[in-house]
Amino acid sequence: MKILMGIAEGFGEIRAHKFRSFLTMLGVVLGVASLLAMFALTAGIAKGYREVMSQMGGLERVKVRTEPVPSHQESIRELSPGRTYKDAQALRRNAPLLSWISPELDTYLPVRRADKTESFQVIGVEEDYLHTERHNVEHGRFLSDKDRWDHSRVCVIGRGVVERLWDDPEGVPLGESVRIGNEIFRVVGIFQRYESDQDKKRRELKAKHPPPPPQAGTRSRSRSRWSTFRFKNDVVVVPITTFSTVFKNTKQAGTPEEGSELKLDDLNVQVADLEMFEEALAQIRQVLMVTHRGIEDFSVETRQEMFDEMNTSLRNLHMSFGLIAGISLLVGGIGIMNIMLASISERIREIGIRRAVGARSADIFGQIVIESTVLAALGGVFGLGAALGLMRVLEAMSPVQNRPVVEPSAVIMSLTFAVGVGVLAGLYPAWRAAKLSPIEALRYE
Amino acid sequence: MSLIELRDVRKIYRIGDIEIRALDGVSLEIHEGEYIAIIGPSGSGKSTLMHVLGCLDRVTEGHVRIDDVDVSRAGSDRLARTRNEKIGFVFQSFNLLPRLNVLENVELPLVYSGIGKSERRRRALEAVAAVGLSDRTGNRPNQLSGGQCQRVAIARALVNRPRIILADEPTGALDSRTGRAIMDLFRELSQRGHTVALVTHDANVASEAARQIVLRDGKIV
Repeated sequence: MKILMGIAEGFGEIRAHKFRSFLTMLGVVLGVASLLAMFALTAGIAKGYREVMSQMGGLERVKVRTEPVPSHQESIRELSPGRTYKDAQALRRNAPLLSWISPELDTYLPVRRADKTESFQVIGVEEDYLHTERHNVEHGRFLSDKDRWDHSRVCVIGRGVVERLWDDPEGVPLGESVRIGNEIFRVVGIFQRYESDQDKKRRELKAKHPPPPPQAGTRSRSRSRWSTFRFKNDVVVVPITTFSTVFKNTKQAGTPEEGSELKLDDLNVQVADLEMFEEALAQIRQVLMVTHRGIEDFSVETRQEMFDEMNTSLRNLHMSFGLIAGISLLVGGIGIMNIMLASISERIREIGIRRAVGARSADIFGQIVIESTVLAALGGVFGLGAALGLMRVLEAMSPVQNRPVVEPSAVIMSLTFAVGVGVLAGLYPAWRAAKLSPIEALRYE
Repeated sequence: MSLIELRDVRKIYRIGDIEIRALDGVSLEIHEGEYIAIIGPSGSGKSTLMHVLGCLDRVTEGHVRIDDVDVSRAGSDRLARTRNEKIGFVFQSFNLLPRLNVLENVELPLVYSGIGKSERRRRALEAVAAVGLSDRTGNRPNQLSGGQCQRVAIARALVNRPRIILADEPTGALDSRTGRAIMDLFRELSQRGHTVALVTHDANVASEAARQIVLRDGKIV
């Protein structure tokens, strides 16, 4: 009851000094706004990171890289065959901690369909590629072992390829032919479209309200916009065997299954269980040391560092933004304390009157704290409004995948901070007011 | 039995080495329903006596009993409660809260006794009616004349049904005609059975009261 009355009094006090209260609140408004914007911005960045990381195969994906032969092994460098198809086979046989092993060949080639030609990354893969890259085939099928055995001229293409070579970006050109380099391939599958949530919304909006037919210039401009997901959409995948015979011109002895010395352009594996991550890495090393005949001309690249870096930068971001927001809230708090001190010296007489009619010092204390809290809380609410405005600006400014995300917990946290600042800022003035002697307060002119 | 009893009360202030005996051995009894005036020149200690009677201040020595409860050593919360329940103040300068309207000003003591809103309203209206201001309940103090302000203050003093009304120079800020009307109101309250103690330096005002206590240099003469 008394608290409700105190809140009502607090609002009365604000109404009585509108401009002064507004100026006082401004500090808290800015503090809360920047705090919330900070939360939203970092949440957006974190979300963007997560989307990208997940599309790139997550933490489980490990890349085997080739390295220069160490100098002390220079004399025996000829012994190592390098990163070959045999490595993949050896890993399949001897590294049970890995779930998928994807040997890859790749190159950039012109891909032609009807009268359109564009350059795409063409990758020769096996079936495991689907899993290490976390691809989804939306239409048709993925490459099979039969394609591999037969050196079939078939390909699976990304949505980006369809968009750029066909007239209908949503089309399903299964069974149609494309010319890759100088060879004709049949499309047997199409991957789903990979995009951030934001892109998806934007595209769906566009589909609902189609823009005027694009002119030649505008189209290429929108296409050239950089996107994290582009590398995954603009891809042409063919069987590794076909790739090696057609594009590499390697007349390697035997098929890959018999253990060819075919040099790989890429070797990606997926660790089955993150709990056993270190053990899996050790296993990879062990197996490859055998196939490379003890020569350490490879390394294992994990996403661990990337994740750690991401977390560190997020933490730093949190800290620096938090510091700024904290300083504005502190300034806001000092402003409130200042104005409460001014307000009580203006109202010493009022305090005396209240004491005379029976208010205890605790009542006076409570009243001042409540007033300053109301001031700060109101500032906090305005700050939320300001933050939403600020967010619009940030949204316009920050890259697509880092769109600010306002989480309810951030809103609650920011408001809690504002209220906390109000309470803290009120304590000292309230203590000053409460310890006034009633007689002196009444006598005060 | 007396309503208020002061026995051998001393109030001594020390400013540096100088000792000021504001009250120097005052003994006094005020009975229920009495109408008394405390009179004396400025510096005689009548304000201090008023503060002691009103539980605004503690004494250095001696005993103060109000309604048979010794408050001479009571803590500040206890004094606040006693002020709230047993004493109604009327000040020279009215001491109304400028931002509250008449009714809210009158309700103020009830807020601190924790009385519910509807009961507060009912009692405040009753007290406002008793001082003849029922038509001004929504006005703020700055919309009222001095006499009306003092009536509001009296209504506030009455609203908690106190045992005693303490008035400190209640006509000091009023012109003589308005002051007259306020004195009439006090007499009326006294006739209705309220205990009233006036503090004044004005002999004319003091002559209204049935009993006069003259203070000089902190002593009753």
